[in-house]
Amino acid sequence: MENNDRPLSFVEQVKAIPGGEHVEVCYSCGTCVSKCMIQQKVEPDYNPRRLLRMVMMGMREEAFESPTTWMCSECDLCYASCPQEIHISGVIGAVKDLAVEAGYTTPLEVVSVDESLCAGCGICVMTCPYEAPHLIEKEVGGVMDRFSEVDAEKCMGCGMCVAACPLGAIARPGVSNAEIVSQIDIKKKRGKKSLAVFVCDWSLRSDDDVALLESYPDNVRVIHIPCTGRIDPQMALIALNSGIDGVLVCGCAPGECHYKRGTYVSDCKISLLDTMLGQMRVANGRVRFVQIGTQDRGRIRHEVDDMLASLQKEAV
Amino acid sequence: MASKPKTTKAKAPKPKLAFYWASSCGGCEITITELGMRLVDLSELVDIVFWPAAMDFKYDDVKVMKDKEIDICFFNGAIRNSENEEIAHLLRKKSKLMIAFGSCSHLGGIPGLANLFDVETLLERVFDTAPSLDDSRGTRPQLKTRMPEGEIEIPEMYNRVKSLAQTVDVDYFMPGCPPVVDQVWSVFQTILAGELPEKGSVIGAEAKTNCDVCTREKGKSGMRISEFKRPHLTELDPDKCFLTQGVICMGPATRAGCGLPCVNGNMPCRGCYGPPDGVVDQGSKLISAVAALVDTDDPQALREILTGIVDPVGLGYRFGLAESILSDLKYGK
Repeated sequence: MENNDRPLSFVEQVKAIPGGEHVEVCYSCGTCVSKCMIQQKVEPDYNPRRLLRMVMMGMREEAFESPTTWMCSECDLCYASCPQEIHISGVIGAVKDLAVEAGYTTPLEVVSVDESLCAGCGICVMTCPYEAPHLIEKEVGGVMDRFSEVDAEKCMGCGMCVAACPLGAIARPGVSNAEIVSQIDIKKKRGKKSLAVFVCDWSLRSDDDVALLESYPDNVRVIHIPCTGRIDPQMALIALNSGIDGVLVCGCAPGECHYKRGTYVSDCKISLLDTMLGQMRVANGRVRFVQIGTQDRGRIRHEVDDMLASLQKEAV
Repeated sequence: MASKPKTTKAKAPKPKLAFYWASSCGGCEITITELGMRLVDLSELVDIVFWPAAMDFKYDDVKVMKDKEIDICFFNGAIRNSENEEIAHLLRKKSKLMIAFGSCSHLGGIPGLANLFDVETLLERVFDTAPSLDDSRGTRPQLKTRMPEGEIEIPEMYNRVKSLAQTVDVDYFMPGCPPVVDQVWSVFQTILAGELPEKGSVIGAEAKTNCDVCTREKGKSGMRISEFKRPHLTELDPDKCFLTQGVICMGPATRAGCGLPCVNGNMPCRGCYGPPDGVVDQGSKLISAVAALVDTDDPQALREILTGIVDPVGLGYRFGLAESILSDLKYGK
């Protein structure tokens, strides 16, 4: 009975939360780190291996302050390769739950809802892969009204809800509708096909591929988005209507989406848009969605070239 | 107009109203007659100077009017042919305020769906291949036909259906297929009280979407669509959001104001009130919302699910195709 009175240690607390059970199986090989896109692309200090070790060593505050606790988007690229079969994102999620409980807040850019626009339709609630938004009821001007409210600590900032919101009531700094549309701007050159490329920042693994995107001439406009789930077919139509010949959307391979379901959502959107353009008998192949895998280094170059070539062919 | 009644003893001239139908079904006209006894009240307050659907007026009656003689013109119907276009220009010239009345003049409406096809395809269907026809004569309407009494002509059908605002300058837009009668009455009140908002506004409707006023139980986290169902083939729960039942409802992408007659009749919204403030393109916005709800992590299964959306253009642009970016892409701006 004495044991029950002792406060739980940090590692015991983590293990008590569903998902955190297997933390102590980790033998710190670091395979997870080698698979992680966050560590490679945005945060060198991001390190699941180290976070798990912190948990085992009782380094509570250090763990709560670690970017690893907050930045994991549960893409689970590491899960498949962990030799100990630890569901690492589950462990990280357990640490995050404790951090939130202790009053820590997310360092990420997250979405916010403009209640003057929100209709409380619940589409963001159904869309979000992280269960961040939920509907609340409150009194406004003497009447009860329904709004979406976002739990900032759950939001990963993918922007899927921003695209799904029918009223443009949700925004995330840097990727609001206006900010993306303002980038759709190509100087037309006679005889040269123009292409707007919406590229998911996570889909390109190698630095060479990222550098390549910066090197295209004026007729190829690259627009970075946090996830292809952020794409709004309206943007593709605005691009085409501005005189741009084609729209290429590059996302992650199935199963590798950084935000779990963005690449499928984008696949649906572009597929339906393509069907609609076909119904209208607008020239074929003006929009295209490609899914680039973590092993597909150099593929983006071919996809852009191929799309430009097929637009050229279609025009002849 | 009716704002300074006290200053003159002599009766202030009543505002002059005109109603016209271009390419439309006539439903908007019926909405006016649905005012019932309120029409009698209205006739005390205004003079109706042109209303071909209900009274004996001719185009020549309008042609002889002075410019801006009509105070307010309620124009319903899309611009489909040269006659629609000519009268739109004529009424614009003769009217102080031009109001696009109803879905067809607002966004092209149902006639706008003809933008899916070119005119020749349409004529071929109507005059040759429709199963109810005897096609042996190869009849085609002729713009001009010589008759013993002289030459007669019919209006030219244009390749693209347009909204009223794509043809002439429009002051206000009143959506609906048709606009619901109580909204029509309240718009009349607004006009007569001289309380119209700034030019270009949508009147007789709300700023947000139908979901804002719909009381059906909304979706929850993790609720996704694994099969799109068609309303006529599905038993629908009258208390739950249609989307949570796999039936596409245009409510999320449609301006509120109708009072939800369809939704209350357990049928999903079809979108006749057009997009809400801030949305450029109703159909693609709906796609953006609905696609985000598809439940799959298998690209093959996903394509199978999408086949459940049989006619995305007809669904998303049922009332707005003429004014849509899709039509601009097909026909040029």
